[in-house]
Formats: sequence, C-alpha cells, structure tokens
Amino acid sequence: MAYFNGGSRAVVDILSKLRNVEKPVPVDHSFCELGSIRYHIQVLESDQENIFFSISTPRLSQDEPNPNGLADFILQDIKTKYLNFADIIQPPKEGYKLTLKLNFSKLTRTKDHTKAINMVSSLHVAILNSQLKDTLKNVWMGDIIQGSTMPIKLVNHKQEPFFVLRAPKKITVIFPMRFKDESDVILATSFFQELADLGSKFPKAPHCEWSPIPPQELRGEHFENLCTNGGFVSFGIFKRHVKGKKADKTAWILLNFQQYVRYHVKCTKGFIQRRMRYRLEVLSEEIEQARIGGEAKIRKQSTKQRKTWLRFSNSKKMKRGIKAFADQIKRLRLRIKIRGLGRLHRYFFHVPKFPALGWHAKLD
Amino acid sequence: MANTIRLYLTCIRNTLEAAMCLQNFPCQEVERHNKPEVELNTSPGLIMNPVLICRNEAEKCLIETSINSIRISMKVKQADELENILAKKFLRFLSMRAEAFQVLRRKPVQGYDISFLITNYHCEEMHKHKLIDFIVQFMEDIDKEISELKLSVNTRGRLVATEFLKQFI
Repeated sequence: MAYFNGGSRAVVDILSKLRNVEKPVPVDHSFCELGSIRYHIQVLESDQENIFFSISTPRLSQDEPNPNGLADFILQDIKTKYLNFADIIQPPKEGYKLTLKLNFSKLTRTKDHTKAINMVSSLHVAILNSQLKDTLKNVWMGDIIQGSTMPIKLVNHKQEPFFVLRAPKKITVIFPMRFKDESDVILATSFFQELADLGSKFPKAPHCEWSPIPPQELRGEHFENLCTNGGFVSFGIFKRHVKGKKADKTAWILLNFQQYVRYHVKCTKGFIQRRMRYRLEVLSEEIEQARIGGEAKIRKQSTKQRKTWLRFSNSKKMKRGIKAFADQIKRLRLRIKIRGLGRLHRYFFHVPKFPALGWHAKLD
Repeated sequence: MANTIRLYLTCIRNTLEAAMCLQNFPCQEVERHNKPEVELNTSPGLIMNPVLICRNEAEKCLIETSINSIRISMKVKQADELENILAKKFLRFLSMRAEAFQVLRRKPVQGYDISFLITNYHCEEMHKHKLIDFIVQFMEDIDKEISELKLSVNTRGRLVATEFLKQFI
C-alpha cells in the first residue's frame, strides 16, 4: 500500500550512502517531498561522525501554540524513541522545525543501523501522528455543545483540509473531497459508495458515510471549505481505534485518506487505459482480416513467428548443448562398469519367451 | 434482452448489405477531385434517403448513403454516469486512433457517439461482407466492453475499500 508506508526513500538512500562511503566527505542536501515536507541533511568537514538532520512538516492546525517549532510533548516523544542515536539540537536550523544530531557509531550491528535509518526516514510520520493524536485527545476531552463540539479544521496537504469534531461516544472525521476532472468525481463516488456499503461487513472498522451535501455538523463553516464536487466522507472513530499501538496507525491512515483516494482513481484510470488499448488491438486485427489478402497476411505473420521458433530450436548451439547434456546423463548411468556383468545378467536374469496361447499358430 | 439486440443488429446488417453499393464518382464541382458525396451533401441527386434504426430512445443507428460513400453513425447505450464517462472515454480513444481502423471517422456526427465513413476505395480494398461483419461486431464489442469496464471498476472499488477497512482491524 503506497501511502501507508510512511518512510522517505530519499532519506534512507542518503543515510545508507553516508554509512557505506569509504572516505567521509562533507555533505549538504536539501530536498522536498510530498509537496510540503522539507529535509536538510548536513555532514560537516570538521565533524564527520555526526549527521545533522533537519525537517520541516506542514502545520496541521492553525491553533498550534508554536508555529515555528514543535510542541514539547512531541519533542519528548521523539527524545524517547530516538534516544540511542539522536540528540535534539535547540534551536533548530533556520526554516526548519526540528534538527537532530545523528550518531550511528554506537550501533555496531548492521540490523540496528538499518532500523535506525528507517526510524529517521519515518520522522515526519511520528511528528504528524503525535500532532493528530494530541488534537484527537483534546477533542475527546472537550465539552459537547448541542450534541457535538465545534469542528476543528486540520490541513495535512495544501488546500485539502479535513475536520475533526466530537460526537457522543465517538470522534467524527469529515473529509471534503475535491477533484479536478469530472470523470475523477464519478470514479471516486463509486468508491465512496462501496466504502459506505462495506461498513456492515467490517463491524470493527470505523463507520463510514458519504453524502453529496455538507453534513449537519459542518453548518456554519466558511463557504470555501464546503464547496466541493466529490461530496463529504465521514468516519466515526471510537476509543478502540485509538487504543495503544493502533493510535499511530489510525492517525496515519486518516492523514493520508485523501491521497489514497486520488491514488485509487489514478490506478483505475490506468486500468481503463490498458483495457482500451487491448480492445483497440483486437479490433485492428479484425479490420485487417477484412482486407483482400488480409487473412493470408495474418497467416504469414503467424507462420513467420512459428519459423523463428523452429529456427531457434534447430540452431547449432542448441543441438550441441542438448548433445552434451545427453552424453552427461549416459556417463552418469554407466559410471560403474563391471566386466562380465553383462554375461551374468544374460545367464541368470534371462526371461524366457513364452509362446502365444492359441492366438497364432506357427506354420510348418 | 439478447433477442432485442440480435434483432437490432440483424436489421442494421440487412440495411448495410442493401446500402453498400458504392462506385467511383468524381466530384461534379471541382475538376479532378474525388470526394465522398455523403460528406459534401451538395448534390441531392447523389444522396439517398437516410435510414434511422432505433433500438430504444438511447440506442440508435443512422445510415446515410450516397453514390460513392456511406456514413454510419451510432449512439451507444449509457444507463448511468459511470457508463457515460466510460463510453465517452473509450469512443474518444478509438476516434483519436482512427487511422488504425481506416473506416472510422475522427469526429462523430453531431448527436451520435461514433461514426464510420466507408468509401468506394474501401470496398475495393476490403471484402464487403467482412466489412459489414466488422461494423456489426464493433457495435457488439463496444456494448460488451463498456459493461465489462463498469463491472471491473466497481469490483476494483470494492476490493480497494475492503483493503482500506482491513487496515483498522
């Protein structure tokens, strides 16, 4: 599942190369992934053992207390998880929310080293998950007014907000879906209807609903947030979905739901294209057959293909190879040769020939 | 259901067999030019009466004949929005690659989804009965392909939704 593997391949590549390099060299890499996550990896000439890793993730909520950095509970979380090989540098590098000093020299086993690199590549997952879990926790603790709390707007990717609000005994996450193309809207709508229909088959999964109009909980929001062409998808998250280790997974799935839908629509369009190409080839062959001399041409092409196969099987190299193989088998079978065994075989293991029982009579 | 489409296709086949009597006819207006008269539509004496065969309100076939060319336009069944976009995409895909079919028109006639233009030259290069077989088979294949595509898209959606919900378990 492409969107549920949160690790950054680019980070894994760069850190693996830095580990395997024979002669350490100064490095200064800056790159961006998924449109909003920025990385900076630096190795100084004077300090070859340590790698300075900086990351900047998008602001999930407008109400974040520290827009230029990360909240204390997130830093504490990262400190606990990355204790073995990373130290947090305060203040972080300019333009980034977090800077870590990585030192893999304490990790002697290759397995530990690889695990550490994978953990560093999934740092943005850990940060975003912590932020969403904290938001969900705050919503859970919040007061319920008129059946639900005020919806909180969160933005993971640009121009794709989603809303979180508390209902009795559950948290509702609402995704307004927008697509550029009309055909994308129709493909996505059929997917949402299937998602809603499958709710009864998976009682443990969050309850899913789709509606073309904004749900009642979002009445009062800005018009630009409610203006969609793909409708609104709502998930009901219960306590069992955010218990223990499941909390991280649930948070990551919810953060990437919109991208997951887009990926499904893209793959479906690719599938339709492949089917159309196949049908085009089949129909082109049919019109070729309608030509005068078209059938003979097709027969010629198929015999040509057969001839190339036969030519291949009759080639000298192929013959020599088969002969060598057969000789080797013969040698293996006749490896142990005993003199006189053939005569013994003929005297003692000779099978007498019985005459046919009344079927044929020998003529004198 | 199968019976009605058989009747519809048989009717189209019989009409095409009667209408496909084409001969070379140079253009009467421009010297040394040879144009399909059904497209020009300038000389009423060279154009026959068009025949419209309707299976129902959504599916119909228009056959326009002239002395040296015949134009066949089809409207394909589109029951819902999904079939609508699938038919539109598929027929546009085929029209864009009209050179692979030779007898296919790049742009369908207004009010129809796809059009064929068969000239006397095509009748000289191809067997007439096989050309008619191709047109009828084409219509059947289009219907079948759109139904299969719709089924596949829905099945894919269901499988993807199942995998998505399994992540929470």
